[in-house]
Amino acid sequence: MGIALGLTIVFGMLRLVNFAHGAFYTIGAYVGLVVSNRVGLIPGLIAAPIAVAIFALIFDYALLRRFYTKEPTAQILVTFGVAIIVEEALRLIFSGTTQSYQTPAWTQTAINLGFVQYPAYRLVFGLGIVVLITALWFFIERTNYGLIVRAGIRDRTMVQLLGGNVRQASTIVFVLGAAVAGLVGAAASPIYSVDPGKGFEFLVPSFVVIVIGGLGSFGGAILGGLIVGELQSITTLIAPAASDIIIYVAMALVLLVRPQGLLGESEVIRG
Amino acid sequence: MKDLRFYALTALGLILFPFIIHPIYGYPGLATEILILGIGAIGFNLLLGYAGLLSYGQAMFYGLGSYVALLTIQTFFPHFPNFWLALFLAVAFVTLVALVVGMLTVRLYGIYFSLLTLAFAQMFFFIVFQWRSLTRGDDGLQGITVPPLPLGFTSIDLTGTFPELDLGPFGNLHDVHYWYLFAAIVTFLVLAFVRTLTRSQFGEVLAAIRENEERSTFVGFSPIRYKIAAFTIAGMLTGLSGALKGLYEGSTAVDTLTVDTSGNFVIYTVVGGVKTLFGPLVGTGLIMYLQNVIGGKIDYWRLIEGLIFVAVIVFLPGGLLGSFGPRSRTWLQRALRITPQTIEASRNVR
Repeated sequence: MGIALGLTIVFGMLRLVNFAHGAFYTIGAYVGLVVSNRVGLIPGLIAAPIAVAIFALIFDYALLRRFYTKEPTAQILVTFGVAIIVEEALRLIFSGTTQSYQTPAWTQTAINLGFVQYPAYRLVFGLGIVVLITALWFFIERTNYGLIVRAGIRDRTMVQLLGGNVRQASTIVFVLGAAVAGLVGAAASPIYSVDPGKGFEFLVPSFVVIVIGGLGSFGGAILGGLIVGELQSITTLIAPAASDIIIYVAMALVLLVRPQGLLGESEVIRG
Repeated sequence: MKDLRFYALTALGLILFPFIIHPIYGYPGLATEILILGIGAIGFNLLLGYAGLLSYGQAMFYGLGSYVALLTIQTFFPHFPNFWLALFLAVAFVTLVALVVGMLTVRLYGIYFSLLTLAFAQMFFFIVFQWRSLTRGDDGLQGITVPPLPLGFTSIDLTGTFPELDLGPFGNLHDVHYWYLFAAIVTFLVLAFVRTLTRSQFGEVLAAIRENEERSTFVGFSPIRYKIAAFTIAGMLTGLSGALKGLYEGSTAVDTLTVDTSGNFVIYTVVGGVKTLFGPLVGTGLIMYLQNVIGGKIDYWRLIEGLIFVAVIVFLPGGLLGSFGPRSRTWLQRALRITPQTIEASRNVR
């Protein structure tokens, strides 16, 4: 549960929710699968984000650039189309059945934390997610690229007039976001199984996290992730059947009371 | 006069349609199924084409429509199974759901609106999936006997067919079910309704909001209200489509509520042509026809569907009808023109 939470926070922080994001996750998972089964887990974890970053770069240059200045719906549509193509191409290559990793022996062991036995791989993964979240926060809040992108979201023309290269910065953030999704896909797959539709499964709950926490809010993604995780765990104990529904009910309630999300700024709703 | 010509040509097209599509590798029910799904796509286009709102949650209206229609017959009024009642309750319920969901979602823009509608569709998917006592979960509702269509003093069994009559290369009149006639009449009414609506002041205001929301607010219109209205009407028509599909097949399943169903409406509409009246219908027909012809032979049809979809967005941004039709030039010009608000709007995604 904590792991799904980590994934959703990472996705939420990137704020690059597009339909192809799920596809990036799945490509990462399959590249990781192939490389780690042939070479080893660590090379797999290195290869996956690189492969996905290259794919995202090509996707950005070949398709997305054409739509920068057109109607915004066209961009959403093209990411949706690419998501379908990727999912079906993976289904064609690897068949639709779920597959699992062969992981090294150390990942199978459990570590005694004093109060509870916890699987080693999950522990390492959880720590990795925390490191990743910190690194992302640093990148977006403390570097110039992050600054330009954040400013560009508010007023693209003004940032360009001031000499900020919004296009270059957003390409970098897009590719980085894709690489993170690819890495997470490869790293999460020993825990979750891999199938071509997996990325999409994570996409919608991640978005619910963002809506609850507040669009465009960094802390909101973390708060939303914690709320969603807790709600699901508690509901699973009380009424298992409702555990899938409860997060959407929470989302509807938040929208009703505070449409911009718990920590969101109202102007960001525009976009 | 122009209206009369429009209605006459539409009626003629709907009458000829099954005799054209059936002999070229179609099957008897294909024309009916295309029209039923096409009604949902026409409704969805009101949202995407005219209001500029890209909903990825149409499956909730489609699926709920089919479930409520069939549950009305089987569970709610088992002693009084009535076709009209089932249709009416389904459409009324879905319209109400669409109104509530619309009020919660239309404040968001771009990808956020799309994903929010998708999230609501997922919620209804899980509700239907988990409420086993009513919906039978993943078994779906199967083999429900749909009552005949009551018409005043008489009633018609829609599964019946027209009498035997050989039409040479156009097949046989016997292959056409009464269901087709009913679906064609409903499609005709829906087309007339949407045409009137988009040509009214309502349609003009929607287009104005789509092009420049701020300015239309200053002129004195309330964008939110118009968007909620468009969302509700689109939901109503998609619910009608689902109810008809449920009644046509006598069965439904949870996959009517999945993301794939929502995505199909998007694909049909975009391929056929947004902002055109007949585009969604043409897109539905083309994709379903190709799916029937190609999908039967190979198992990666959906990959081809995705490639067609992306190719249309890149090369024919107006869709088939929007790029080749009489109004193609203005539409293309508008698509290529870069205005401040399109730049501003393009921030929504990235």
